[in-house]
Amino acid sequence: MKIDDIRRAVRFVGLVLPLTWSPGSLAAQGAAANAFGVAVRTATINQTTPSAVLPTDGTLAQNQASNVTVGTLVTAQDAFATATGAADGEQSDAVSSATLGTVSILNGLITADGVVAMASSTIDNSNAEGSSLANLVVNGTQVSDPEPNTRLDLPGVGYVVLNEQIATAGGMTVNMIHVVLQQPVLGLLGVVTGYRTTGNIIVGSASSSVN
Amino acid sequence: MSKLRALAGVTATVAIALVGWSCEAHRTALAPSTGGPLFHFFVFQCSPLKMTGGGRIDYPPGTAEKNPPASHQYETFGAHVMASGQPDPSGTTCLADKGELEWIDHRPEMEINGHPLNLHATAVTFAELAVDTDCSDGAVHWGGTLRVQNTGQENLQFEVWDCDNGEPGNGHDGFAIRVIQPIDGLGDYAVMCPDPDLPPAEPSCTLTGGNRQFHPTH
Repeated sequence: MKIDDIRRAVRFVGLVLPLTWSPGSLAAQGAAANAFGVAVRTATINQTTPSAVLPTDGTLAQNQASNVTVGTLVTAQDAFATATGAADGEQSDAVSSATLGTVSILNGLITADGVVAMASSTIDNSNAEGSSLANLVVNGTQVSDPEPNTRLDLPGVGYVVLNEQIATAGGMTVNMIHVVLQQPVLGLLGVVTGYRTTGNIIVGSASSSVN
Repeated sequence: MSKLRALAGVTATVAIALVGWSCEAHRTALAPSTGGPLFHFFVFQCSPLKMTGGGRIDYPPGTAEKNPPASHQYETFGAHVMASGQPDPSGTTCLADKGELEWIDHRPEMEINGHPLNLHATAVTFAELAVDTDCSDGAVHWGGTLRVQNTGQENLQFEVWDCDNGEPGNGHDGFAIRVIQPIDGLGDYAVMCPDPDLPPAEPSCTLTGGNRQFHPTH
């Protein structure tokens, strides 16, 4: 290729590229939201219900279940999942919520009678305001208004993270009750050398992001 | 060549100025007035509009904060509406292009058939821009018909007052709903906060979670 051809190509790119720029190309282009009431992942169970995912046209999705039963791991009543928002440049927004009535996890090891997970995102602003747990009891102990990412051990089971808040690209996820099922890893002499995760139970999850 | 460059420069400057001028004028025309009367949502106009989002209201409201979770005194919802600013043939109603509403009232006293009251819009028929509120980003009065999911009761008319009062929505934005006809098993139903001292605009109730997002249309 001759040097003049290269120069012409560079000039062409230099002229055309600015024409493709628009103010919107620097602004937010996407909004994402999803929510679910109950999700269980173990070696034998892979179930999420009810769930709602914001449609690509940015309107609203909602799903519900009057009764949720996942084996002996979770029962819940009156579960609703809602996702809404719109992709609209700097006015993009995403809001999702999951609400549940009475909840029992692991045969009553954890109970609550009102769970709200709510995540909200706009440009440069995401929060979990509106999330709450009512009458939460963990292993026989009442827990009120747990701070974000409160971890409690569940002997023989694993641990639970309450009001779990996870930052994501342009947004966040809030899981109101996240049980991590674990089994001990034994060494040669039967000594516990660690734990391995065998499953996850999440009750009340909401995610939102704008980017 | 230098004349061409100069001409291009002048043209670009004029174009930028024109675009900036046109956008600014339109935004001013749509912006709600501030410092107006305490009673809001009284003056409307047919304008292109879009409002999206969802949230939580703690009603009855003691303050703009959440009620104790164990009280179950709260509502959650998702809702959006879009209109192109067209009146109906009579000129009295601003038509909505589309919209949706999902509303759940978690108060035990509002349960029907043992489940939380769940309202689902079957049609969104009108939407008008409210121009006398102090909602900083935009306010809309809209409504249509809904179904009570608990019982299947259909064709109840409803209206909402919808306010985007800046970011974040929590503690700033507002939402209120009224169902025109009685709900079987409940009677009259409304979640409204007619208190001019409670921001952001009567009769909407301040969100305790979520966000309402007004989308200005150029």
